[in-house]
Amino acid sequence: MSSISLRHLRKHYHDQPVIHDLSLEIADGEFVALVGPSGCGKSTLLRMVAGLEDIHGGEIRLGDRLVNDVAPKARDLAMVFQNYALYPHKTVAGNLGFALKMQRLPRTEIDRRVREVAAVLGLEDLLERRPAQLSGGQRQRVAMGRAIVRQPVAFLFDEPLSNLDAKLRVHMRTEIKTLHQRLGTTSLYVTHDQIEAMTLADRIVVLRDGRIEQVGRPLDLYENPANAFVAQFIGSPSMNLIAARVEGQDGRPRLLTDDGLALPVPLPATVERGRQLLVGIRPEHLEPTAAVAGGDALEAQVLVVEPTGAETQVVAEFGKRRLTCLARSRFNQPPGSALGLRLPPEHTYLFDAGSGQRLRAGH
Amino acid sequence: MVTDRPAWRRQLPGWTRDGVSVLVLVVILAPFLWMVLMAFRPAHEALDLTLGFRPTLEAFRSLWADGFDRPLLNSLAVTLISTALSMLLGVPAAYALSRWRFRARSPVAFWILCTRMAPPIAFTIPFFLAFRWLGLLDTWWALVVVYLTFNLAIVIWMMQGFFDALPQALEEAAWLDGCSVWSAFWHVILPLTRPGLVATAVLCFIFSWSDFFFALILTRTQALTAPVAIVNLLQYDGWEWSKIAAAGTLVMLPVVVFTMLVRQYLVHGLTAGGIKD
Repeated sequence: MSSISLRHLRKHYHDQPVIHDLSLEIADGEFVALVGPSGCGKSTLLRMVAGLEDIHGGEIRLGDRLVNDVAPKARDLAMVFQNYALYPHKTVAGNLGFALKMQRLPRTEIDRRVREVAAVLGLEDLLERRPAQLSGGQRQRVAMGRAIVRQPVAFLFDEPLSNLDAKLRVHMRTEIKTLHQRLGTTSLYVTHDQIEAMTLADRIVVLRDGRIEQVGRPLDLYENPANAFVAQFIGSPSMNLIAARVEGQDGRPRLLTDDGLALPVPLPATVERGRQLLVGIRPEHLEPTAAVAGGDALEAQVLVVEPTGAETQVVAEFGKRRLTCLARSRFNQPPGSALGLRLPPEHTYLFDAGSGQRLRAGH
Repeated sequence: MVTDRPAWRRQLPGWTRDGVSVLVLVVILAPFLWMVLMAFRPAHEALDLTLGFRPTLEAFRSLWADGFDRPLLNSLAVTLISTALSMLLGVPAAYALSRWRFRARSPVAFWILCTRMAPPIAFTIPFFLAFRWLGLLDTWWALVVVYLTFNLAIVIWMMQGFFDALPQALEEAAWLDGCSVWSAFWHVILPLTRPGLVATAVLCFIFSWSDFFFALILTRTQALTAPVAIVNLLQYDGWEWSKIAAAGTLVMLPVVVFTMLVRQYLVHGLTAGGIKD
């Protein structure tokens, strides 16, 4: 096992930069998830660590070892690919033992380790089958087994669950977490699914356009997003963001949306008039109440009601914009009816509309 | 009757399709059948069309007595050497063209294919003069070089398609499993393109084996190949039809046997299952 340290990494395709001066320290045994929208550079970053992509600046260290110019085979990393990349002409046992064969380990040692890993992953009965004879979940497990059997210094996962159906994905997520708890190997996990990142990772790195937006523990990112991008990216359904302007000639400043609706949100006393802000509230914190004109609730209209069993997702129209609200109790209002939405002040976030950065008290 | 065939397929009874297939096969194979029958017929009734004859190996024996084994050996040697060299040089070249992105990649691929665009006769005089200057006329090596230049284009062009169809993630997985570029090529890529390798080798074999034109121009006696030797049986004082047919049968035999042996590899589908689509 080993730590991974990325220092001032840069990478460009032709003249287009894709990774900008990125630095990240991953501790020995830590599970770090890289998340971000498509094209944010998360897979490229993972492939740079694996040695499958050139580095145009900065350095990558595995433990104390600088590996910028080290070939993938000499990095002692194991990778689980999005499409599994199992060798179709080899049996499951052949796939699992291939890396050990390349290390020229004795036949008996290879057999012993293959059987050991097969037992951990429940693949004992499939050892003589070829990948084409396996189901999606079984192939996924073989891909995992191929990584584990090596006992590498770190695991790299490139969206390993994105090809599985929803139920199997949840199951495999638990298996990955169990394996990590058992093996304690440093892991770097790329996903665009923030639920996967939240449930698996010790720390999450949110990437956008080749830059780190925020790094932190899953609940820290959820509760204290540094900017509007992270706020919207972490959490499902996404945080509601309402654009508004600071108004008020005298006394307390107040927030008005661009169509003139007032938002009952407390503002820092020092905030300057005319400033454009984004007000953020998570769907689970937006409280549906009976519509009462003149109260401190937003007057909205029910648009769509989506019951999911434990909770109900309600999409409501507030002025020209749509807000999502997650109701834990039964929700019986029909579409088109009036709805009050209360913004609990302790759960609202303020972001600068231009930079997207979060406003803290006194800013 | 319960059937899961669509209506348009049910309109054609099975025996009709079989009958038509057999008919087409007979039309295509009739000349070959005629040749093989002629090879086993006694020489004096070689051109008869009757089926009631006593088969004899007389034509083959007399071919052997005339030294036909030498052209057969020449053909076999030239074909095997040129096919092996074409594969040895062409397969790695195709892999490089398929996988490495370099500035001249497209022009190189295009120029390789260009060698097949001109008719063979355009190259005859340059080849003849070059080999005469090198003292290689009427040797195996002259033919090996000529077939190599033609086959290389086929090998590179065909194999590039097979390599392109293989997902790069397989090599990357092999590299991370401890393979170098070459060992990944050897352990993962080559076994997966085996049907392509076999199909390509069969094509090269057939091209070299059945070439008549270059062998006629570039050989005299020492390196004479079987197709040219057959024409030499068309003598001024009479055409020995049985021997011509026997020689034709012998020349056809390796191609048929070779193709039958590797038939299973010509079936695609080996790569199914390793990659989630």
